[in-house]
Amino acid sequence: MFGFIYKITRYLSLKNKNMLQNTESDKNNSEPITPDLEKNLEVIKGIFRDSSDVTIHEFNFGHERKFKGALIFIDNLANKEEIHKNILQPLMYGVLLFRNNVDIDFTKIDSIRENLISMTDNSKVSMISDLLDSLLAGSAILLIDGSKEALAIKPGKRESRSIEEPGTEAVVRGPREGFIENVNVNIALLRRKIKDTELCVEKLVIGDKSKTDVYIVYIKSIANPKLIEEIRKRLKRIKIEAILESGYIEQFIEDSPYSIFPTISNSEKPDKVAAKILEGRAAIMVDGTPFVLVVPMMFIESFQSVEDYYARPFFASIIRVIRFLSYIISTLGPAIYVALTVFHQELIPTQLLISIAEGRERVPFPALLEAFLMLFAFDLLREAGVRLPKPVGQTVGIVGALVLGEASVEAGLISPIMVIVVSATAIASFAVPAQTDSGTILRYIYLALAGIAGGFGVIMGLLATLLHLASLRSFGTPYLWPVVPLDLSGLKDVFIRMPLWTMSKRPEAITWDNCDSYSQSPDLMPSAYKKDDNDSK
Amino acid sequence: MGKKMNISIIKSILCFFLVFALSGCLGAREINDLEIVIGMGVDKDENAGNILLTAQVVKENAVGGASGNGGGGDDEAYWNVSSKGESIFDAVRQMTHKTGNRLFISHNQAVIFGNDVAKEGLQEYIDFFLRAHEMRPAALILVAEDRASDVLDAKPETEKFPAMNIAKLVKTYGFTSHLYKVNMKDFALWLMSDTTAPLAPLLTIIQNGENKEIYVSGMAAFKNGKMVGKLNHDESRGLLWVLGEVRSGVIIVPSPNETGKAVLEILKAKSKVTPEIKDGKIVMHIKIKEESSLSEQSTTENLADDKAFEKIQKSSAEVIRQEIMAAFDKSREFNADIFGFGEMLHKKYSNEWKTLKDNWDEIYPTIELNIDVESKIIKTDLLKKPAAPKEGEK
Repeated sequence: MFGFIYKITRYLSLKNKNMLQNTESDKNNSEPITPDLEKNLEVIKGIFRDSSDVTIHEFNFGHERKFKGALIFIDNLANKEEIHKNILQPLMYGVLLFRNNVDIDFTKIDSIRENLISMTDNSKVSMISDLLDSLLAGSAILLIDGSKEALAIKPGKRESRSIEEPGTEAVVRGPREGFIENVNVNIALLRRKIKDTELCVEKLVIGDKSKTDVYIVYIKSIANPKLIEEIRKRLKRIKIEAILESGYIEQFIEDSPYSIFPTISNSEKPDKVAAKILEGRAAIMVDGTPFVLVVPMMFIESFQSVEDYYARPFFASIIRVIRFLSYIISTLGPAIYVALTVFHQELIPTQLLISIAEGRERVPFPALLEAFLMLFAFDLLREAGVRLPKPVGQTVGIVGALVLGEASVEAGLISPIMVIVVSATAIASFAVPAQTDSGTILRYIYLALAGIAGGFGVIMGLLATLLHLASLRSFGTPYLWPVVPLDLSGLKDVFIRMPLWTMSKRPEAITWDNCDSYSQSPDLMPSAYKKDDNDSK
Repeated sequence: MGKKMNISIIKSILCFFLVFALSGCLGAREINDLEIVIGMGVDKDENAGNILLTAQVVKENAVGGASGNGGGGDDEAYWNVSSKGESIFDAVRQMTHKTGNRLFISHNQAVIFGNDVAKEGLQEYIDFFLRAHEMRPAALILVAEDRASDVLDAKPETEKFPAMNIAKLVKTYGFTSHLYKVNMKDFALWLMSDTTAPLAPLLTIIQNGENKEIYVSGMAAFKNGKMVGKLNHDESRGLLWVLGEVRSGVIIVPSPNETGKAVLEILKAKSKVTPEIKDGKIVMHIKIKEESSLSEQSTTENLADDKAFEKIQKSSAEVIRQEIMAAFDKSREFNADIFGFGEMLHKKYSNEWKTLKDNWDEIYPTIELNIDVESKIIKTDLLKKPAAPKEGEK
């Protein structure tokens, strides 16, 4: 496994070298725009020689049609309708509304921008490379004969999926909206939740070829400035050709790349991200994906759901405990079964032992192999079901359940108790979605340890996991906070979820200096109407 | 840097696996390879000096659970294997000639000793059961009135396994408090004591037509590891009163006007025993506090009034007193200190004990009991008056 990781790092280092070469070839484009329109167009046409979707529209405008201009855009990337309405029409016809003697210099890009263009999102570019960047980002480029500068105009609308309920984080109670692939819409969704001037949205562009917009979103007065500085530093380190998903960013900035535990959380839900930003965390939003990264992450976050805070605290606390139990079952279930039946039969109640023995009577495999087979079959089914289209996926589920549950027991390949253990494990593994990856890996490790050394092996594995967890950090925050190091006020939201009105302070491990500032008034406990209070008023 | 890290990770993984070398018992055994023993019987063989060991082994394929291939039917779910040997461990190992697999005795519910073995002395036979690491100290110890192998052969009606059935009979002693649950650990502790006499429930077989029924007929009393006699049900409860182990049970007393019976259910019982040495005489002050409910009456009298209660309480206290005395008389007869009076004296009069200890056998029959029973009826369950026509309305 580590050899594999090493290969990846080698591959990435080679990639860096390639990128250096690329930047050299890019240098050819970094020449200034000349006042000669023909010459500029020649350069651009040369660059897009083989790309048929780049439209270069040359036109004449002005009262006597004596000025020459060109509009360059990429079909479908820039909205044609808006280009026609807001750029071409004003230039070609709108100009006629002015009197001839009006002082507009049609060779100066500034005066055209100020007087004719009716779109707000525009910027001047003076280098060919900048021009190309804007063009590829979806802008329409207006080149004027005689001007050393070009105008990059961004048509507002962009094709994107509508806002839907996220598939990964469905809720019973709570907002149904989820992030989409368009990062600007996503930021707007966040702005709608947090209407505060302190909400900062810092932009970076990462990826030599993809030039992906990456935003760091945080609240200036709450977030720890050192955290933001660290994020900036780590993001700027990334030299890569393309960022296709926020997972790319995650893998380049995480604290422990060798750990099976994620140290950066992600979410598709604006309300969840907003809540985390309000606690002092920072969100990293990447264009092209609905998954927003949030740092720092703590282990406990995997067991918290937004609904915990929307539901009343009692039920939320029970569900929280059930999630913890389900994580334990999903990682340790098969391991404990194997350890008990192979090493510690004396720990099983007599009647249960007789039932297990009876079920295993015809099973030809050792319990360890039996457990591996079943787990493998389950993971296979899950993987097959996830990737397939929905109706086919269901069929796979039914076939799998029948084959695994019924037929294999009938055939005497698997004992019925093992089916129960594995299905309980499978169900439990879905209760903590954020730790499904780590849980699956741990399950196999613990199972192997149980097969080798029984309960002793499982305990050693657990200890190693705990040591590892306690050593993890996410952007300076201890991963197991507030349990290790112990923080009593933080424990309000770990094993049980205390009522909201008791949680008046922000998590200390995230905000550090700002933790004393209250996120809410500390005396918000609701109480019934009191006559005295009213009288005194 | 990457390489360095790899090496350190590999090192730590290697260290981690070294840990496994530290553990001693890495005995992986698949369940299929186990012969699960749920009961054992020890008898003497006809050949002098030999032991006949009977082990009740679960027949997994005949248990008949959900997957039920075969199962059910009249097939017995157990197999009584017996083997002979010079010692118990020898016999256990000899048994592999018949079973093929090693016996797995962690789930042994009960060890039953035959009458002949019990009379000869359990001392030498119990050693293996205390020493073997697989054996539980919580396994029950019982004595058969005749042969232990016959007890294990008697097929119970509701349970699948005779041994489980026997364990159940003993574990539910609280319904009557006519016997006491004794496990290996208790028995060994009594055996190690200088004076206390060990006890074990006594199993009797009743021939009921073709069926054999197992019945706990009382307690066997031991002295120096040898069985010396038997306590019947009432005597056993007399013993439990003193030990404070009475959970529940039935006390039958005549109704105040002697027209019928009043039946009481024991709800709660407490005991306190204080030894006293007075002018060289040993007196045990036994104070019993008992609470009961009126559970049944076979008379039309109205028992639910204070005067009737008082009388019933008095007679129930007398019943308890008689039971204790019966047990004590029996123990005097055996000269076996089943109550553990010796240990009580040892705790309170440790100086005097040094001299008492040596001739305890002479002293024990001279002990006097001062029994004070406080019996109380606290409720009459669902009825107050019996379902009978009112008197005086005729």
